[in-house]
Amino acid sequence: MRELRWGCMIALKDLRLELRSGSRLLAMIAFVVLSALLFSVSLNLAHLEVRGLVAGLVWLTTLFAVTAGAGRAFDTEENDGAFRHVLLTPVSRGAIFLGKTAANWVLVWFVTMLAFFALTTFMEIRSPGPLAWHGAVFLPGTIGLAVTGTFFGRVSNHSTLGDTLLPVLTFPLLVPVVFFGATATSRILLERPWLEISGPVRFLWAFAVGSAVAGTVLFRHVADE
Amino acid sequence: MNLRKARVAGLLLASVGVVAILVAHWMVVFWVPTEASMGVVQRIFYIHVPAAWTTFLAFGLVALASLAYLWLGDDRADAAAVAAAEGGLVFGAIMLTSGPLWARVAWGTYWTWEPRLTLTLLLWFTYLGYFLVRGSMADPRKGRRFAAVVAVFGSLNIPLIHVSVSWFRSLHPEAVVIKPEGPTLHPDMLATLLTSLGGFTLLFLGLFSLRYSVEHASRRLQAARFRESTGVSP
Amino acid sequence: MTLEGRGLVCDYGATRALRGVDVSARGHEILAVFGPNAAGKSTLLRTLSGERRPDRGRVFFDGAVVSGGDPAWRARIGLVSHRTGLYGNLSVSENLRFFASLQGSPGSRAALIEVLEQVCAAEVADTRTAILSRGQRQRVALARSLLHNPEILFLDEPFTGLDPGGVADLETVLRAIRLEGKIVVLVTHDIPRGLKLADRMVVLRDGRKVLDGPTADRRVEDVVPLFGASFARDRS
Repeated sequence: MRELRWGCMIALKDLRLELRSGSRLLAMIAFVVLSALLFSVSLNLAHLEVRGLVAGLVWLTTLFAVTAGAGRAFDTEENDGAFRHVLLTPVSRGAIFLGKTAANWVLVWFVTMLAFFALTTFMEIRSPGPLAWHGAVFLPGTIGLAVTGTFFGRVSNHSTLGDTLLPVLTFPLLVPVVFFGATATSRILLERPWLEISGPVRFLWAFAVGSAVAGTVLFRHVADE
Repeated sequence: MNLRKARVAGLLLASVGVVAILVAHWMVVFWVPTEASMGVVQRIFYIHVPAAWTTFLAFGLVALASLAYLWLGDDRADAAAVAAAEGGLVFGAIMLTSGPLWARVAWGTYWTWEPRLTLTLLLWFTYLGYFLVRGSMADPRKGRRFAAVVAVFGSLNIPLIHVSVSWFRSLHPEAVVIKPEGPTLHPDMLATLLTSLGGFTLLFLGLFSLRYSVEHASRRLQAARFRESTGVSP
Repeated sequence: MTLEGRGLVCDYGATRALRGVDVSARGHEILAVFGPNAAGKSTLLRTLSGERRPDRGRVFFDGAVVSGGDPAWRARIGLVSHRTGLYGNLSVSENLRFFASLQGSPGSRAALIEVLEQVCAAEVADTRTAILSRGQRQRVALARSLLHNPEILFLDEPFTGLDPGGVADLETVLRAIRLEGKIVVLVTHDIPRGLKLADRMVVLRDGRKVLDGPTADRRVEDVVPLFGASFARDRS
């Protein structure tokens, strides 16, 4: 219960900081909308199977936005050395990780939704299928993205390679998420029955829960000096 | 283990491994019958499968040694993890180059986005990340710890490989050796495969022991130099 | 109440920051740590606070081994460093409330104002931290370190950026903390101020302890030569 309260405090603090500065969110929004625009003008939609393509692009855009934005979750902590003081409180490292991840997840969820609406609008998909089903796919997918982005954001934060390292570490782990996410999203766009979608969704949940547990347990090894 | 013993054991294992691989190559070229449907190219199987097995053995060892390092903080576990990771990358490269050569003839393409293949490539890149993390930390102690974390996190991908193969239709050949009803492979083919498999495993274990002893010796040398220059025992 | 480091050795790669340092600090005492740059002062502080595990040696508090991984230990210590460690886009009271909630200490407005009054910063309670002067931020950082009433206070270059008034206030707070029987470990380059404030001092050079003793009757001239020839040359 105490862990949950700590996690909530950290997440609320991060979200409050994000809303006040807004710079990271704004950059992610601009990135997503502009990417959707560029994809739409650069692809000749007349000769492509658009629905499958849009599904892939939604997940790819989100993945790149996560790498560019969510990986920077620790920048506000390091600006004036605040994280050192957070680590010196009795809060468990797992609670810190879950709090940071929860705040990141809100951003990733928002960005995924934006990517979805921007791409379906720009690529003129009139009936994208039941939104609740899309939500059921995005939920575990975005949790997996947020967990991995937050965890390895901390690792690359320490590295002299900085931002260059983050995609090398996260992409191999996240490609399965993008693969199963895009498969499920494209099947919804193609109006396939839920039975064909539930398999990839189960996989996404397995990844989300597995990586959240691994991240919570392992975070103490990358949090402290 | 005593360093000298590790070195001698490494040399011995690697030598026996090389001899077994040479024998396996002789069997592949002159002895084993040609497979009916794929023809002569199927002989790559005797290199590809043992390389894949060795890669997974190596990456499994990295994960276990890294877990031990995080748990106990013992430098020997980290030395073992590096030694295994280097072996894993080399044998992984053999697997990932021999596979497409076989695929080009068998499936008509060098590369196909088949789940097992894709996830193996991703795992290989994860271990490349392992070395990047190690080398890019200002404090080497932190580099070791972070790399161990990457290895443990990355090893989570191994069960996903298995799951993805069973969930999705695959171009990959079905298992022909380890099956509940016994192997369906021709006995000569099985003998060649097992010889090659044994050779690769022994070569890897030999190289692993040698690399481990070199890593351990270099750390001891570094510590001794430190002692000499500072007068403080490490 | 005794904090004790025995045979502390710390490496950063091929650099040895601490080379077998023994140090102790008692309640009712301010311990000053002096030394030239790269002498190992901050590493010693991080090791004593449990933030960094020593490569060799141990830290003890009242005879029990200290571990940074132990939440109960972290609840007993406070830290002020030269980086204030505050969130610029939160107000002072939001910053303090956040850290109070993590410390499990009362985060009511009255409690926060009381701590801010101790460091003469109550008037900035609702100001955004980013627009405060360096000295004001340092006072808020000190207030944050006192929120949970720690038994041991670690200070790493706390006088950096403080005006004379701020320095005097900080000295008053530290003396009050000493009177309460707490341990204060103060790392500083400001030798005259450190000598005036501390009861005992440790001088480090190249990761080794070159002096450990009371500050009474010591002058700056007694300490500086211990820093080595290069430091004396730089000063001149």
